[in-house]
Amino acid sequence: MDKIRIALAGNPNVGKSTLFNRWTGMRQHVGNWPGKTVEKKEGTFQYNQQEIEVVDLPGNYSLTAYSMEELVSRDYIVGEKPDVIVNVIDAANIERNLYLTVQMMELGANLVLALNMNKFAREKGLKINKKQLSQLLGVPVIEIEAVDETGSEELLKTILKISKSPNIVLGRLEYGNEVSEHVKQIENIINQDLTGADNKSMFDAPSSWIALKLLEDDPEIIKKVEESGKGQRVLKSVKKIQRHFNNVFGDDADAAITDARYGFIAGLVSESVKKPKIDKVTRSDLIDRIVTHKYLGIPIFLLIMWLTFQITFTVGDPLGGYIEEAFVWLGETVSASLGEGFLTSFIVDGIIGGVGGVLVFVPIIFILFLVLSLLEDSGYLARAAFVMDRFMHKLVGLHGKSFIPMILGFGCAVPGIMATRTLENERDRFLTMLIVPFMSCSARLPVYALLAAAFFSAYQGWVIFSLYVLGIVVAIVMAAIFKKTIFKGMSAPFVMELPPYRIPTAKGAIIHMWERGVLFLKKAGTLILALSVVIWALSSLPVGVEYASQESITGQIGTVLSPVFAPLGFGEWQATVAIIYGFVAKEVVVSTFGILYGVGEDGSGGTADEAATEESSGEISSKPASGEVSVESSDETASAESVEEVAPEEDPGFIAAIQEVFTPLSAYAYMVFILLYIPCLATLATIRRETNSWKWPAFAAGYTFVVAYVVSFAVYRGGLVLGF
Amino acid sequence: MSLAMATENDNLRIVQVWHGGKFKKKLSEMGIYKDSQIKVIKNDIPGPLIVDVKGSRLIIGRGQAQKIMVDFS
Repeated sequence: MDKIRIALAGNPNVGKSTLFNRWTGMRQHVGNWPGKTVEKKEGTFQYNQQEIEVVDLPGNYSLTAYSMEELVSRDYIVGEKPDVIVNVIDAANIERNLYLTVQMMELGANLVLALNMNKFAREKGLKINKKQLSQLLGVPVIEIEAVDETGSEELLKTILKISKSPNIVLGRLEYGNEVSEHVKQIENIINQDLTGADNKSMFDAPSSWIALKLLEDDPEIIKKVEESGKGQRVLKSVKKIQRHFNNVFGDDADAAITDARYGFIAGLVSESVKKPKIDKVTRSDLIDRIVTHKYLGIPIFLLIMWLTFQITFTVGDPLGGYIEEAFVWLGETVSASLGEGFLTSFIVDGIIGGVGGVLVFVPIIFILFLVLSLLEDSGYLARAAFVMDRFMHKLVGLHGKSFIPMILGFGCAVPGIMATRTLENERDRFLTMLIVPFMSCSARLPVYALLAAAFFSAYQGWVIFSLYVLGIVVAIVMAAIFKKTIFKGMSAPFVMELPPYRIPTAKGAIIHMWERGVLFLKKAGTLILALSVVIWALSSLPVGVEYASQESITGQIGTVLSPVFAPLGFGEWQATVAIIYGFVAKEVVVSTFGILYGVGEDGSGGTADEAATEESSGEISSKPASGEVSVESSDETASAESVEEVAPEEDPGFIAAIQEVFTPLSAYAYMVFILLYIPCLATLATIRRETNSWKWPAFAAGYTFVVAYVVSFAVYRGGLVLGF
Repeated sequence: MSLAMATENDNLRIVQVWHGGKFKKKLSEMGIYKDSQIKVIKNDIPGPLIVDVKGSRLIIGRGQAQKIMVDFS
């Protein structure tokens, strides 16, 4: 039997994805629509020996040309002509949900309505007569509960049925005389001028739909008609009719059409839905009274954010630590069996180090996304956006939804950036992505701990705290600057749906988590691995040189570049090299220090990371990148573990070494630089993935370097002037 | 009066939407357009509003609400 192709369409939050996941399980594939930053989900499943290919279209309220998501859906329906479109409807919200339905009917889509969330509708006191609704619309209406099997059988049967005998629904829509007549006029001209000899419309869509779009001033359709070269008569008529509407009704044809649609829907609904006399107060409402309460709202939000953070890093860190240990073990085993040498170094330091570096992130990413999708699916995230909007708006010029990515950035910028997906407005998304890296991520903590302990022992806590605050301040300032320059005047007006609370499904949450985690691994992983190998290569050449010494290429680069940083107070080649390595991952700065400032041949440098990890809780374990593992592989005699482990900040020799190189002021300037400069590779790779371009990560890298340099300079020079 | 000044729980009707084309369309997709019914659920100053339209709840920024004119229905 031939494959059937179907699509899932509907408003956001109606349960489309739940249905999609239940049908396709793991047989689904998530990517992007070609050339767009909109997620594309497709999958296959079998029913009654029939193979069915299903695409989960983005949640839409309408099919205008004004947003990527709507265009993607619209183009899909017109271009791909799926056999059936399953329109998932929130039963408690029928009127607004039907606004999309009628637009799909205008396109001549072969629809079946899946009425979901009937329990909640009943709780609200709504009674829906699905037979009546079905008759009035001319399409089958099936009651389902996407979370379980209710109605599933009937829905699938109906899908198969109508895939073979499609409904014709174009004639069902009644938009009143005014609108209908004018649409017919335009339609006729379109049929005369723009239809080919074989009577097929140039645009693959019903002429009546094209007429409607032209009257609505749809930019995409207007462009297409203009480009066809034969559209003059049509466009002229459209203009004439639009003027007519303005003169007679004092309003756009656009508004009249919207009115007509809602009018049609209202008529339908009044005949098929019984509403309660007085609005019932639902459980959702009661929870909301507390959660969005004027004074309680924010503390509750902070509590939930803190919990999210805690869970993610408390569970994720140790798991990441196991992964790191496994890689270290692997590295040792390989070097033990292969012996010293170039090949060993390549495998151990380059590949195992590089791959391990990426995989350490995995537990954190996965767990974070699990928690986030639970929060999102339950409906809480919308309330969070509401509660935090007030501050976000005043301070940063962004909306409440941007707050969550920033909070996540304090743990790790990668999940923070991925969380910007919830921001629909592209400019807000990009702006948020650009400032998330300033939220001092946990990878930087070891560096602070080290330097603060060495130079500010009594005031460690305050020094480190000041850095976090500085990060936030810089973020706010940069956001303000961006808003006035490159993102000028593009703030999204804030309107967002507040879906009712729901109990998230385990399956849905796990699938969400899996999708995002795997994507991260694939894209970010290959990039990091590649660049880690490059850095390894640069540190191992010229051949025969001691790994990561001043004579290696890396060391030479460090030496050459160090004058750049001299004005900031830290112009030694080692500090420069640490900055370069820190580009791959911020934790590496500490291990680099350990190697370069020579914490001894017995490999206590390698333990620096483990000890530092113990010192500060809740951080990502240091990645086994070039510096650390090399000590163990090039040293056959002592393995790091057999030597007494001393943390660098406790090793008097090490501290003495740094104290000769830095002063308290330059150490602070250095920390400021580390706080602000180029986001780590993983972060840049994530930005690249989320923006689908190289321009943004490049910009992020460039501007953060400049900001870091300027601020660090100001701190150092200013401090000198003030006599520190 | 503007939606931003409305009292919680009053049943209102929209009389005018003073927004530009694109956002006006977005609003109408969500149920906010001339002559539709609307009710304010939460109006704490400062901050966005929560309203009820066509059976669903929406969050609207205060600035946006100021440009939507309503009257008692």
